[in-house]
Amino acid sequence: MTARAGEPGTLARRHRIDADPESVERGLVSLVLTVVELLRQLMERQALRRVDDGTLSDEQIERIGSTLMALESRMGELRDHFGLNPEDLNLDLGPLGPLLPYD
Amino acid sequence: MSTEHTDYEMQPYRSESSVAPRDHIALVDLLDRVLAGGVVVAGEITLSVADVDMVMISLRALVTSVSALAESGADLGELAR
Amino acid sequence: MTEPSGVWVYAVSADVAAPSLSELRGVGDEPVRGISAAGLTAIAGDVPLAEFGESALRRNLEDLAWLEATARAHHHVIDALGQRGPLVPMRLATVYANGAGVAAMLDERATDLRAALSRISAHQEWGVKAYAQQSEPGSPAAAEPARSGAARVGPGASYLRRRRDELSAHSQARYDAIASAEAVHIRLSGLAAEARLHPPQAPQLTGIRSQMLLNAAYLLDEERAEEFADAVTALALEHPGVRLELTGPWPPYSFAGLPDRPDHGAGRRREH
Repeated sequence: MTARAGEPGTLARRHRIDADPESVERGLVSLVLTVVELLRQLMERQALRRVDDGTLSDEQIERIGSTLMALESRMGELRDHFGLNPEDLNLDLGPLGPLLPYD
Repeated sequence: MSTEHTDYEMQPYRSESSVAPRDHIALVDLLDRVLAGGVVVAGEITLSVADVDMVMISLRALVTSVSALAESGADLGELAR
Repeated sequence: MTEPSGVWVYAVSADVAAPSLSELRGVGDEPVRGISAAGLTAIAGDVPLAEFGESALRRNLEDLAWLEATARAHHHVIDALGQRGPLVPMRLATVYANGAGVAAMLDERATDLRAALSRISAHQEWGVKAYAQQSEPGSPAAAEPARSGAARVGPGASYLRRRRDELSAHSQARYDAIASAEAVHIRLSGLAAEARLHPPQAPQLTGIRSQMLLNAAYLLDEERAEEFADAVTALALEHPGVRLELTGPWPPYSFAGLPDRPDHGAGRRREH
């Protein structure tokens, strides 16, 4: 059953600005992690393009792949540490939609 | 929020009584229609038509309503009166 | 009444017997009344300018709780009366200085209003939204058998391979979902007298994570409503990459539009 997010009160909650220190910090953390996640996704796509281009040696591929794998794992740990879901890492660019693609 | 597990979901909102119960209608669906639909009439003696322009600025998530307005080619200058 | 008031207009119908309106209350909890001219009746209510005047509206429309209550009250009047006969709904917050202004509007736009009434008569609006189905995490890669001739592949290289498969499966799924949404819209438009696309709803408002690919309104002959609902069910089965949501029947909000300039039959003319 789809959650009815349009119920009274739900919209107002989303638009309330929290100013307590904890949520300001949480906001900053998710902003930082969003940027890191964006870079991680960009690097991953870039790496895949280079692999497809055939411009990397097997050794380079292995090294880049291991690094990206470790980075993905580390991102997961950071999210868990701060109690964030993958969906929490995103930026709303208004008419341009979300920063990170829908998953 | 859960995303559902049924591929198809029917949301009948009209009950058997003569007036539909209010809460069955999702607010977003209603706003799509009453803010961007319906007759728009402008004239000297009209105090105001929904100032969707203003709504857009303060409720940026309602960009959808403004887009609809832009697409319909409505004269925003008239609406601001 | 000592406080200044204006007239909020809900909708326009062909002449309606005034007494039948009195049981309805409007956006300001005011009794709803009819204002007639040119063989048409505007469904209206007297509302205090302190809450519904221009400057008050600028303030109140920014208040989501007020907006919700007002939108629902506006809809309640339209929906209740819409069951009695064709009704052209007004956009939210159409307020006139007085009843004379409303009557003058009816005179001025009578031709267009009558055309709109006849277009929507015996028709209903139904809404269909389509969402991309959430992809199952990891499934494309899990199903992928080990590639022949892969020989020894290190964990880093195999991670990249897995990611490439996931990304391409994901973008293929996205492409297919968009194609499905288009197919759904084309098929349903074929069953409708008119169709109108609304922009996708912002996820911040719906709370739904999946991407909305279609947000459409269809004007249907009343008698085809069941056929339409059956078609939606069938389309959902044919297109498993999208989730469909049907809402309705609605008053014909999305199909009430009048031309920008009134049609006096004498060509273009400045409205004011």
